Amino acid sequence: MASARKDMADTATARSNVYGLLAGVFRAEPSSELLTQLRTPEFSGVLEALGISLGESFFVTSNDNLVEDLAVEFTRLFIGPGPHLSPNESVHIKTESKQEPGFWGPETVKVKKFMEAAGLAIDDSFSGMPDHISAEFEFMQQLALKEAEAWTEPNQEFATNILKIEKRFLDEHLSQWIPRFCDKVIEMAEEPFYREFAEVTKGFIDFDGDSLQASIDGANVGDDD
Amino acid sequence: MQSLNRRSFMKLATASGAVLATGAIGSKAALAGSVKLAAGGRDFSPATGKERKRIASACWQCVTRDSIVGYVEDGRLVKIEGHPDSVRTKGVVCARAHGGINQVYFPDRILYPLKRVGKRGEHKWKRIGWDEALDEIAAHIKPLLDAGTPEKFMFHYGRMKSSSSKVTKDFLSAFGTKTIAGHTSICEGGKWTTQELTWGGHYDNWDFENTDYILVFGSNVTNTHTNHIPSSQRLIDAHVDRKVPMYVFDVRLTNTAAFADAWLPINVGTDGLVALAMCNVIMNEGLYKKDFFKFMKVTADRNASVDEKIAAVKARVAKFTPEVASKESGVPADKIRDLARGFAKAKSGVVVSYRGVAAGLNGCDGERSMMLLAGITDNINSPGGRCQGVGAKWKGPKSKHVKTKALKITKGFKGTIAYPSHGVCQEVLPVIKDGSQGRPDVYMWYCYNPVYCNGDSNGNRATMMDESIMPYLVTSNIVYDESSALADLIIPDATYLERWDWEDMVSPTQIGEHYLRQPFVEPLGESRDLGDVWPDLAKRLGIELAYSSKMDYVQQSCEMTKPVKAAGGFAYMKEHGVLYDKNAKPDFYGYKKKVSPDKYKADGVILDEATGVYWKWKKSKAKSAEEAIKTGYMKTKNAVKGYVGQEIDGEVYKGFKPDKLNKSGFLEIYSDLLEVKKFNPFPTYEKIPEHAAMAADDLILTTFKVAAHTHSRTSHCKWLSEIYHDNPGWMNTKTATERGLKDGDKIKVKSGTGEVTTTVRVTEGIIPGIIAISFHVGREFSGRYGSGKADPFPGVVADDPDFKNKAWDRHGVNPNYVIPNSSDPITGQQRWMDTVVKVVKA
Repeated sequence: MASARKDMADTATARSNVYGLLAGVFRAEPSSELLTQLRTPEFSGVLEALGISLGESFFVTSNDNLVEDLAVEFTRLFIGPGPHLSPNESVHIKTESKQEPGFWGPETVKVKKFMEAAGLAIDDSFSGMPDHISAEFEFMQQLALKEAEAWTEPNQEFATNILKIEKRFLDEHLSQWIPRFCDKVIEMAEEPFYREFAEVTKGFIDFDGDSLQASIDGANVGDDD
Repeated sequence: MQSLNRRSFMKLATASGAVLATGAIGSKAALAGSVKLAAGGRDFSPATGKERKRIASACWQCVTRDSIVGYVEDGRLVKIEGHPDSVRTKGVVCARAHGGINQVYFPDRILYPLKRVGKRGEHKWKRIGWDEALDEIAAHIKPLLDAGTPEKFMFHYGRMKSSSSKVTKDFLSAFGTKTIAGHTSICEGGKWTTQELTWGGHYDNWDFENTDYILVFGSNVTNTHTNHIPSSQRLIDAHVDRKVPMYVFDVRLTNTAAFADAWLPINVGTDGLVALAMCNVIMNEGLYKKDFFKFMKVTADRNASVDEKIAAVKARVAKFTPEVASKESGVPADKIRDLARGFAKAKSGVVVSYRGVAAGLNGCDGERSMMLLAGITDNINSPGGRCQGVGAKWKGPKSKHVKTKALKITKGFKGTIAYPSHGVCQEVLPVIKDGSQGRPDVYMWYCYNPVYCNGDSNGNRATMMDESIMPYLVTSNIVYDESSALADLIIPDATYLERWDWEDMVSPTQIGEHYLRQPFVEPLGESRDLGDVWPDLAKRLGIELAYSSKMDYVQQSCEMTKPVKAAGGFAYMKEHGVLYDKNAKPDFYGYKKKVSPDKYKADGVILDEATGVYWKWKKSKAKSAEEAIKTGYMKTKNAVKGYVGQEIDGEVYKGFKPDKLNKSGFLEIYSDLLEVKKFNPFPTYEKIPEHAAMAADDLILTTFKVAAHTHSRTSHCKWLSEIYHDNPGWMNTKTATERGLKDGDKIKVKSGTGEVTTTVRVTEGIIPGIIAISFHVGREFSGRYGSGKADPFPGVVADDPDFKNKAWDRHGVNPNYVIPNSSDPITGQQRWMDTVVKVVKA
């Protein structure tokens, strides 16, 4: 039983890590430090194995130039002006709601309430809205981390509850808009960086839906010791 | 990409974990707190919801600035209504106020500081942080400060009022630049200057609540007026409930004209002539009210008796017979007589006039003629008459100011405008291009769109594009528009629904109302009110301001302003939003009040024999009493600041206190100030030369505004652009037939300045011989609802689920490509109504 719980904890930690990375990628223009890390053979090797290529220039361009290029690309893709993809759920969601879409729409409120119900709130230093893609990913990152802790404690009931909450958030929010959002990023991106990370993101959301369902199905790993 | 499987997923996760562990993602998190699900028992039902939070504030969609209340639910502003306790608005607001919500949440809003990284106008941007943005501005203006040339930092604003204006001008005075331009001359500056020449300050307010007769010249007062909601509802009440007669002179059948007893179609630029003809009838038939003549100056002699004045006015208006006026204006002579008699015989009456009169070459004379008509019928500052507006008075903290300097580029080309007391906005860019009067090193604009709003949009763009003429451009804006597209740095402004202000707009009751603007929600993204930006910028420049933020400024003001403090100060205003003294008496007949001898006989007060003005010379630029006496009140700079009272028949009256110009305390119909500048001192009528020289197929282009929009600040508001998004040119059936045009035909409108293509709206609701095109639309860049594209590139990215509901695909034209920058030589008012054009089928 303990090893099953450890597996669950490891999976949760692993998922938390991916969400954490993706939250960072979409939150802001990549820093020099992040680019250095992404260019390590360890990380690039993993991406390569997945069939993801950030392009040759990603590895040969100087850090400073790459930071500048990706900052301009980030602004063009996610900030504007011009046709850009505000990375906010309320701007992309296909809703039947009679309330106005646009910034801080009904979905934003739902996400905010969801986060508040879990004891989290938007940090004062974060200038985005609660349904910003990076906030949603970070929310999943934190839930998964808490889930991992619960498996380790062990507190199976709590861990199972969090699992269900994660699945609910993924079903009600992430999967409702992020795959389509990623398709648009793939279409609009000029630099391979965001195009490829959009591929990774889309693939991961798809994977995580199945993964969460499998975890819920297999969550009954026996009584607590 | 390959599908993830357990194995590749774990590899990705491990690598991700390693990246995270290095801290390369950074420490800034989106979320605060920790997951607390273990506590359990908490339930949130989106269906039941919490009670919405109600907040009192003030609109900013137009200059009327109505008091509003808004409702916030879960951090989102969901609804705006009129403030029921506001005496000004009586709880009413217009469509624009409701549509204000769009200002906050429209999807193309600028939310972060953006630095240009491509060529100017190439639309290539990089987001930067506020520190970098402010450092960059400081790096451009601090050297100017250090070199002793702060005036090379120019600030140009569009809508900037009340505490927003005070804070910005306070900063600029502490910095040392007075190279500050407003937008008034492309709005109503000509009217204000005329008021300064005649009765003192602006605005005018019409006492519709008490009036018995309403004459409207060139003003769509029920729809688009400067003090729209407070004025229009009272006018409507007067006309509907009290059956007050109402007649409208206009080139178009406006909604106001349609609502009146009669629409009097009138030729462009002839309103003043009709008013003079009415004066002719009133004087000849002895219908004038003698009493008021005492307070009017109508001849060169300030000591003229009332009888002499009456004779002088009679003589001056003798040539403006109804027949003469009829020939020029197209208004039947009998009608002019009837209305003149009706107006003069009514117990009271208002003469309403606005841009239809003021925004043309002879606008100043037109407005002065209106003032004469109101004066001879004793309808000035009287119940039911044309009154000097009364707004709330506020006090606020002041920083330490330095001696300011100014480039002489804000008042038009040197020597061309007699009294540009509100600047000449439309000539700022042409003067900068010319260069002979100096050029700013840094040009910053706020709540303004210089390319779009002034005449000759092509010329404006060319000047701003040229880095050798305008080396550094910075703007604070919420939307990417025609001008911000040319900036080197854009800082994201907070909307008016996210910021603090005290407010003071004129009250229709002649009793001022104090009111407050407070944020409904935190500024979205990283947007910031400019009033909060100055304190941060000041720190970088080593300047100390008397407040740390706009809220601090407003809070201090509440405690410094007596009636507000007495009511409970900032806390009271936050809770109630409005403050009005119901026991105060309306300000009528203030000019009749006598000044006590201890005031006009005080030390340092001298009598100017030429004008009869008592004034404190020390408040002027005169260096000694002798110099002040020798130079005289009228010719001494800033003498107006020392005005004490007006001597009339041996008594000293408060009179019509001057504001910016050194006029006397009379209602100056005869203007010495105009005489010294070689203009006719008495109101007159002269046909606009370009109109006299028109070819047979020429037309006059006039412009207008509509109720759903502000000139350039609302087209990105979806709800408002849904109401009004296209502006075909209005043309009379006869004029259209002569050109073989049918309703809906595509036309080209051409002038020496440029051309636009639009469609024609053939209607009997406009006089023959002209074409009328509204402002507001024809946006190149203004978000997807304004320009039809997610600016600045064609095609809207398919990320907006609501965009499919946009049921319109026409976005109008901007007539400013056809209209030149051209000014009334007295006031500097942009001539919006005068342009001669050719119209052909496209």
